[in-house]
Amino acid sequence: MTASALRLSRTGMSAPVLRAFRRAPSGMIGAGVVAAILVVAVLGPIVFGDEAQERDLTNASQGVSREHLLGTDALGRDILARLIVATRLSIGLGLASAALAMVAGILIGVSAALFGGRARVIVLRTIDTMISFPSILVAVFFSVILGRGVTGALIGVAASTAFHIARITSTLAISASRRDYVDAARVLGVRGRPLVVRYVLRNIGEPLTVAASVVVGSSIVTISALSFLGLGPQAPQYDWGTMLTEGVKAIYRTPAAALGPAGAIAISAFAFAFVGEAVARAMNPRLWTAPSGRAARAVATAPAATLVEQAAAAGRARPDERVEVGGKDGPPALEVTDLVISFPSAQGATEVIKGVTFSVGEGEIVGIVGESGSGKTMTALAVAQLVPYPGRVSGSVRLHGRELTDLSRKELDSLLGNDLAVVFQDPMASLNPRLTIGTQLGQAVRVHKGFSRRRARDLAVRSLAEVSIPAGETQLGRYPNEFSGGMRQRAMIAMGVMKEPSLLIADEPTTALDVTIQAQIMDVLHDINARHRTSMILISHDLALVKQNCHRVLVMYAGRIVEDLEADAIRTQAVHPYTKALVGTVPEIGQSRTGPLPDIPGEIPDPADPPPGCPFHPRCPLAVDRCSVERPPLLHRGGGHRAACHVANEGVE
Amino acid sequence: MSVRILRQVGQRLLGLVFVLAAVVTSVFLMMQLVPGDPLVSETGGVTQEQLDRLRALYGLDQSVFDQFTAYVGNLFQGDLGRSFRTQEPVVDIIQQRIWSSLELAGAALLIVMFVGFPLAMFAAAATREGRHRRLEVGFLSVTSVLGATPNYLIATLLAFVFAVQFTLLPVGGSGSFEQLILPALAVAIAPTMSLARIVRLETLDVLSQDYVRTARSQRLPTHMIYLRHVFPNVLTAALTVGGLIFAEVIGGAVIVENVFARPGLGTALVDGVLSNNYPVVQGATLVLAVTVVVVNTAVDITLDVLDPRARTG
Repeated sequence: MTASALRLSRTGMSAPVLRAFRRAPSGMIGAGVVAAILVVAVLGPIVFGDEAQERDLTNASQGVSREHLLGTDALGRDILARLIVATRLSIGLGLASAALAMVAGILIGVSAALFGGRARVIVLRTIDTMISFPSILVAVFFSVILGRGVTGALIGVAASTAFHIARITSTLAISASRRDYVDAARVLGVRGRPLVVRYVLRNIGEPLTVAASVVVGSSIVTISALSFLGLGPQAPQYDWGTMLTEGVKAIYRTPAAALGPAGAIAISAFAFAFVGEAVARAMNPRLWTAPSGRAARAVATAPAATLVEQAAAAGRARPDERVEVGGKDGPPALEVTDLVISFPSAQGATEVIKGVTFSVGEGEIVGIVGESGSGKTMTALAVAQLVPYPGRVSGSVRLHGRELTDLSRKELDSLLGNDLAVVFQDPMASLNPRLTIGTQLGQAVRVHKGFSRRRARDLAVRSLAEVSIPAGETQLGRYPNEFSGGMRQRAMIAMGVMKEPSLLIADEPTTALDVTIQAQIMDVLHDINARHRTSMILISHDLALVKQNCHRVLVMYAGRIVEDLEADAIRTQAVHPYTKALVGTVPEIGQSRTGPLPDIPGEIPDPADPPPGCPFHPRCPLAVDRCSVERPPLLHRGGGHRAACHVANEGVE
Repeated sequence: MSVRILRQVGQRLLGLVFVLAAVVTSVFLMMQLVPGDPLVSETGGVTQEQLDRLRALYGLDQSVFDQFTAYVGNLFQGDLGRSFRTQEPVVDIIQQRIWSSLELAGAALLIVMFVGFPLAMFAAAATREGRHRRLEVGFLSVTSVLGATPNYLIATLLAFVFAVQFTLLPVGGSGSFEQLILPALAVAIAPTMSLARIVRLETLDVLSQDYVRTARSQRLPTHMIYLRHVFPNVLTAALTVGGLIFAEVIGGAVIVENVFARPGLGTALVDGVLSNNYPVVQGATLVLAVTVVVVNTAVDITLDVLDPRARTG
């Protein structure tokens, strides 16, 4: 057990934290080296004390030899022995200074949390100002007023570090003191110091442990820097820093005299830093499994994780899903066939889209509805070739008959850049906060259609007018944050309209907006559809919205289409029990239609353990024995109506 | 520019005045707080009479308050006192040395920005969404090891490799370009690595934003996505740590000057401390601290002005 591990267990770290610490190889190596350094610090002066003082002027300033592994200094003393003896002072000063910095920093930081109003502001400002100075400058300042030597260096380095600790502590303590349980304690009559000690300190203990483990390493380094400059221990005392000074002077003749102390400082700096990093990692449970936190989070937030399902190894039953194309009229703008999207997972690969086939006719508005996690957004992203890494897409996506997977990057840029527009859900996040509306509207036509700046401007003004944003000329120079939510979404749509796309995908375009604005946005979309015969895919979890605004509706459940039918027919002709359940609870016209999908008894399939057979059968009122065994295929019922249900499709070939 | 932004800038400048006053006071107090008599060690073996004369010369016989007003008054006239050693005006000493320090800090800052930024952006682009795990591990290992290596060790190592082993570059002095290379690298390497780590994380954060997906959905060329959509957002985020990086560079320059024996403010400061030449120490400390404070305020004001929200209201 090393000192830092002991410190961990004393502050009440749980077993998994220790396990996580042990699992990190760099942390264990660091801990081992730290332990070795501490042993040397304790025993070094006892064992090598005499040898370090032994002068041999006939052998002064010698290089590396068998008797003197790191050579000798100007007085003929063995450098290696001195290095070992100096460990105690170097490490001791670092530890003492770190301890002092922790105590002072926590006191200053907690005092900031205890004060209110102006006093707190002053303390916080002081902390911020102090940490903006180079720590060496602060340390020099203190070592001047305290006198050169061990005390000055120790306090100087502690002072420069303390404000960093104070900054962390104040941030943590102020946020901790705002939490409910502290308020509750206050109501119960716990006041002043006991309150801070008991509630705040306990809750900021872990982050401060991490800080402490980092501070030890940095203190050793800064103390050695001061010693190196001559502001630390004065002769006859010596530490690694003073030895480095002597070594650098002799670097041309006996480089080992400089490299020895440099190595000692570097090794302890890294050892303590590794331990610090491992402590930080061990304290953060999110980082336990994956080597990279961010990557782990990226995987965790990818849709795969919400719908984890073992890939059906034995030939996915994929029925013949030929579709008579041409939904509304004319040839289809978009044909998607057998679309499968999978993400790597613990089980190998998890499919979030499990074979989706549909088409969108020219001028047709197709709605896709489903609960979150049903795969509707992922389907849209696949059409736009925006499936996030490391998702894999297979199947066919054809835009105006051109197979997207066959196209080169350049051809894709040109085709999608001109013909496809995507309007994303959150207009605040989807517009770049640092670019003007004009820049963002104009860039696509400038790149893909080679428009001049002026022509792009004129077009942008017209597009803004088309989405009912007046005075476009003045709006172009403004930034997204100067727009209201509704205006931003219109600007997004105007951005899509700019290039007169043949297909526009709107992913929950009105979710973030209030009802009146919702209606206006839908009007804008309808207008564009009517004027330019733009095909559209409207994705929503709001069935009423889709029903009112689309020609055709695709209902998705657990990565598959379960029903595909005319929007007008959805009340009367829907056959799938899931669709029926959705319809059954849709409010009538005139009632609020802002609500999300209605509550259907039961839960969406457990991602880790999807039900066999029809994924909906556990929630289905009509389920028969067959439903829990065999997955129902999506069958044509005539008139473009498709459904995937054993019960409903009885007798359908 | 709105009223709000002007008021914010005004507040920053007011804060700057307060901090400058605190810096001046602290620097003045330095000599007052020195243990023992600041002149004694310098004037060992002098008579009491001579000591009194020296005291009068440096104004140390007056009350602390009078000394302070005199100090501040002189400061406004560009007088930082005289060296205990050479009687030379401290201002002259600083003027002789400041250019060497500016050269070193400037060169190091250029390296930090022009190596740290591209390195971070390339690393972020290559490792976004968990791509190229090995590259990510390599980047993190190299930057954390180099970022944690103290500048005086890097300086020692550079001196050993380039000056002693291969005798490619000079190891001391200042003035020539060759003499600048090793010190500038020694100052720059650690801050470059810490900046690269921070900027990579910021870039990854920006890359995961919806507006980048919007830009991708428009099929803009890659360079346009990175330069126009990602870079400005990363830049402002990185600028918030600009003050800290600057302080790291200044602190590094102070130390590294001493390793390479460059006659600059850092060597003036340390030599001053070692020889109890307090007026020089005060002068160098003041110039360094004021530089840091002014640059920090400038960074804050730049951030205020760049913030698009500054335009409203």
